[in-house]
Amino acid sequence: MGKLTKSHMIETAVWLLIAIIFFGFTFEFNQPIEIYIFGATGWPRVVIGLMLIVTIGNFYHHLKYGSTIQAGRVGIADDDEAGSYDNLAAVIKVLAVLGTPFLFALSLKPVGFYFATPFFIALIIVIFGERRWKWILCITALIYGLLLGLFMVVLNAPLPQGNTSPFYDYSALILRLNNDLQQLW
Amino acid sequence: MIENFIAGSSALFGDPFTLAIFFFGVIGGMLFGAIPGVSMLTLAAILLPFTSDLSPAQGVMLFAVIYCTGTYGGAITAILFNIPGAPENAPTAFDGYPMTKQGKSGKAVGAAVLCSAIGGVASALVMMAATQPLATWAIRNIGPPEIFALVFFGLAVASSVGGRTIWKGWLSVLLGLLIATIGQDPVGGINRFNFGFADLAAGIAFVPAILGFFAVSEIFVQAEKRATGTFNAPKVGMSFPTLFELWAQKIAVLRSILVGFFCGILPGIGATLAAFMGYGEAVRWSKDKESFGKGNIEGVISSETANNAATGAAMIPLLALGLPGGALTAMMVAVFQMHDLEPGPLVFYNSPDLIWVVFAAMFYANLSILFVGVLETKTILYLLKIPFQFLAPLILLLASIGAYIGRGLVLDVMVMFLAGIIGFLLRRSGYSIPGIVLGIILGKIGEQNFAQGMQMVHYDIVAYFSRPICSLLILAGVLTLGVGVYQALRAPAKKA
Repeated sequence: MGKLTKSHMIETAVWLLIAIIFFGFTFEFNQPIEIYIFGATGWPRVVIGLMLIVTIGNFYHHLKYGSTIQAGRVGIADDDEAGSYDNLAAVIKVLAVLGTPFLFALSLKPVGFYFATPFFIALIIVIFGERRWKWILCITALIYGLLLGLFMVVLNAPLPQGNTSPFYDYSALILRLNNDLQQLW
Repeated sequence: MIENFIAGSSALFGDPFTLAIFFFGVIGGMLFGAIPGVSMLTLAAILLPFTSDLSPAQGVMLFAVIYCTGTYGGAITAILFNIPGAPENAPTAFDGYPMTKQGKSGKAVGAAVLCSAIGGVASALVMMAATQPLATWAIRNIGPPEIFALVFFGLAVASSVGGRTIWKGWLSVLLGLLIATIGQDPVGGINRFNFGFADLAAGIAFVPAILGFFAVSEIFVQAEKRATGTFNAPKVGMSFPTLFELWAQKIAVLRSILVGFFCGILPGIGATLAAFMGYGEAVRWSKDKESFGKGNIEGVISSETANNAATGAAMIPLLALGLPGGALTAMMVAVFQMHDLEPGPLVFYNSPDLIWVVFAAMFYANLSILFVGVLETKTILYLLKIPFQFLAPLILLLASIGAYIGRGLVLDVMVMFLAGIIGFLLRRSGYSIPGIVLGIILGKIGEQNFAQGMQMVHYDIVAYFSRPICSLLILAGVLTLGVGVYQALRAPAKKA
């Protein structure tokens, strides 16, 4: 098996899976275009075909040389290597960092930006290791105030308000306060 | 030309309101470029409706100034946090961020300030002198086959930078190209790969993708380092580069000005490809190739000179042909249209005062990078002293707002965080994030120009090679690719 490792096999399998899934979906829009003989599928299928060829090249490199860096490569970040997860707390911490922003994004439609944001800020600060509750509260309030001041008051940017009660009512209250503030000027 | 420039300068400095708009553009462009998560495009999009209350010259001038200073502003976050403010600053991070970790952030930012100003001023001067003749040349010689060939060459350069092997470099670029095929096809408008989500019919917007792959993935990488105890705090360095250090890079600056100008003049290409090609050429001609990516100041200089040199050149197709070269120049077309004007050759005859106010403003905006930039940089460098646990939520939220504001879709915020997770995993495996992003940006441009080119030459691919510029660019791309594959098949250099 040369210098292949389990992670190399997974990497190759993921690329092949992407190519197969996308190729399968090309049949959904395989219609001719009158003015263009290659149609809507021509370009994506060439990209998928090239992806297959390059995946084979990548697999060959792993097989022959393992994870060695090719000679003459430039612009490679030295610090992108995976850290060693020698305790469960580290795994949980990284999973929490990866999952929390996604949960925040999912909550934007039902809960809205105005209500979800302070909880998100505090949670991220805690996950990143801050334990002094006074600091957590103060920095949360500061960041929340800064964002509302810049995007709501100064720029009037439309942000998600949520679509379920009582979160929607909270967003409406904040926007009404902003409206009253604007009228003072 | 000199009389026109003096007239444009007088109109700019003679009216206090126009001058106030100029300074607002200079500071706004720099700040929005430098705030992680939002960019000059965010500021421009927010300001667009208000330009109807300005005169046409003031409106177009404001956008031109934001374009110049915003292109520089994005370099600051690229250098300090490894988060490029815009795609055109991505190659700046390759060497800028390692310099920050070595405590040379001041030197990197100082080089970016000076070279952005030099690239921008040189570009503005050439723009003033050569807009009309260059536009005539471009009309005759540059068509869809040439643009496709340039995209191919650009992608070949991008694949040779960043990934641990040529295979990983190309897989990154191809992933970007595949993501770019999501949404309507550019010829027939047929929906592709929408996976049942109606919102995906409009495609993956590049702003959330860029924010996800760069800003969010960087936060995740930093979080992992803290969790696994491998975090090294970046050092704050306030020493700016010496004149001797900068003089030693004069050839790199000149080369990057030429590269930037050539890329900028081509419609739809702009500053992003200019920055990548400027960086790629710096590596190609360097005697110490191995030092790139590890904190070589020439990497920062080449990328920042080239992207600012593209700003002036990008005005040439816009003003002379009415063809925008990127998102911000497309917004300028909207400003023209809001005032019942059409950019194009006639604008030189119908509104010469407008043209010269814009030219003069761009010249002074690039010059002001030198002065305002140094002051701003000294302030922004203190951002590095803020504990990361307090900076991280701010960056994530600014990125979320930046992703949402563009189209008002929560889906874009989800795409951004998903791109962040994918970017985090790919970076650990040695793939090139800038390669993915360039693939996303150039994918649609490449496909559209390939289709138009094929229709033009009646599907005779050999006809592509009968066009000198096109065949030269394709040859350069194939050579770049060939050298990479050859090196990959030889024994690799070192253990990862």
